[in-house]
Amino acid sequence: MKVSRVQLLLALMGVLGLLTGLNKAVAVATRNSIPRRLMARVPAATDASVLALGNSLVAVGIVEPAFDQGIGSRQNRGILNLALGASSPIEQLLLLRYALHSGLHPATVIYGFYDFQLTHPVELATGDMIGNHAMLYYVEPEYARGFYHLSWHDRIEFEIMRHFPLFTDQQAVWARVEQFRRRISQQGMPEEKTNALGRANDFELLEFPSTPAFIRECGHASRRDLIPPVSEIVRQASEAGSKVVFIEMPMPPAHVASFYDTPAWQRYRGHLKTLLGNKQVTYIDASHWMPDESMFLDPLHMTYEASLRFSQRLGESLREDSQRR
Amino acid sequence: MTNLNWMKQALEYLAGEQDEAPAGFGVTLANWWFWALWWGAMLFLIYAFSGQSSKFIYIDF
Repeated sequence: MKVSRVQLLLALMGVLGLLTGLNKAVAVATRNSIPRRLMARVPAATDASVLALGNSLVAVGIVEPAFDQGIGSRQNRGILNLALGASSPIEQLLLLRYALHSGLHPATVIYGFYDFQLTHPVELATGDMIGNHAMLYYVEPEYARGFYHLSWHDRIEFEIMRHFPLFTDQQAVWARVEQFRRRISQQGMPEEKTNALGRANDFELLEFPSTPAFIRECGHASRRDLIPPVSEIVRQASEAGSKVVFIEMPMPPAHVASFYDTPAWQRYRGHLKTLLGNKQVTYIDASHWMPDESMFLDPLHMTYEASLRFSQRLGESLREDSQRR
Repeated sequence: MTNLNWMKQALEYLAGEQDEAPAGFGVTLANWWFWALWWGAMLFLIYAFSGQSSKFIYIDF
């Protein structure tokens, strides 16, 4: 049987119509995605006196009421935690800029980090821009592009995809499929340890494989400057009149013993302190503040109780620091 | 024709390998809205199941 040109055209238009509908559905489904929800908090918090930035370690680790209690801030003048899980310093810079452009004038900007986050160059391909990285498509995309390199193929892909939520927020659909797949794979299997952030074991993948590998990386990193988005966070926060404080975030005792207690990390820490000190940034080493393995949900993140303690102590520490000055 | 053979031919017809539907298969090539729906659904399945390239799967936060 032959198909007429009109019938083929109608079928193609039908497919296009379905894709348009799907594009709209994804846009609606992701209008409250995590980065957008986070940004939506800013207009109601322009009186905040402290702004926290970082990845999930800060998002989970800084509990706003506990920090406010520690620093003794007045109501509505406390901290706004804009840390974003699974984000790089580029997204964190974009969030700072968004907050400053929205009228926030924080007296202090806190930036929490771990391992080599401050000196390890951000390498991205369009395939990596999923989940919270998707904000690179829709928050100041041209500005952000200056901080990472894309191959020419990825550049073209980026320029096309950023106009369609169907592509930029694909993970909204994919994540549901993945969650379904995980539920099925759990049938008849021993229960996997999970927490509010996902599968606890997944975070082991972010750890260095061994102490020698970590020490080698310390050697390389001790010769590097701060990566441009981190330098920009410091510069733009300072220009906005904020005091900038970098926090080496609390890590589990096993991580501290294997990595942070090595002379190589002490040297790297000294290197960071010099780089940041030159920019008038205060450095707080909180890596040893939670000395018990039970204070951690997984190889990286603190439990809620530990986060409460950490937040209060950090607030107190900043208050004492400001009283000394 | 056995049921299995009929199903094989029907699937080959749906996938575009054969131009003729097996006897009793109610959809012709002229039925444009069915084919739009069918290929739209196929594209959606590809879309939903692809896209993850990193080893670390961070979906819950």
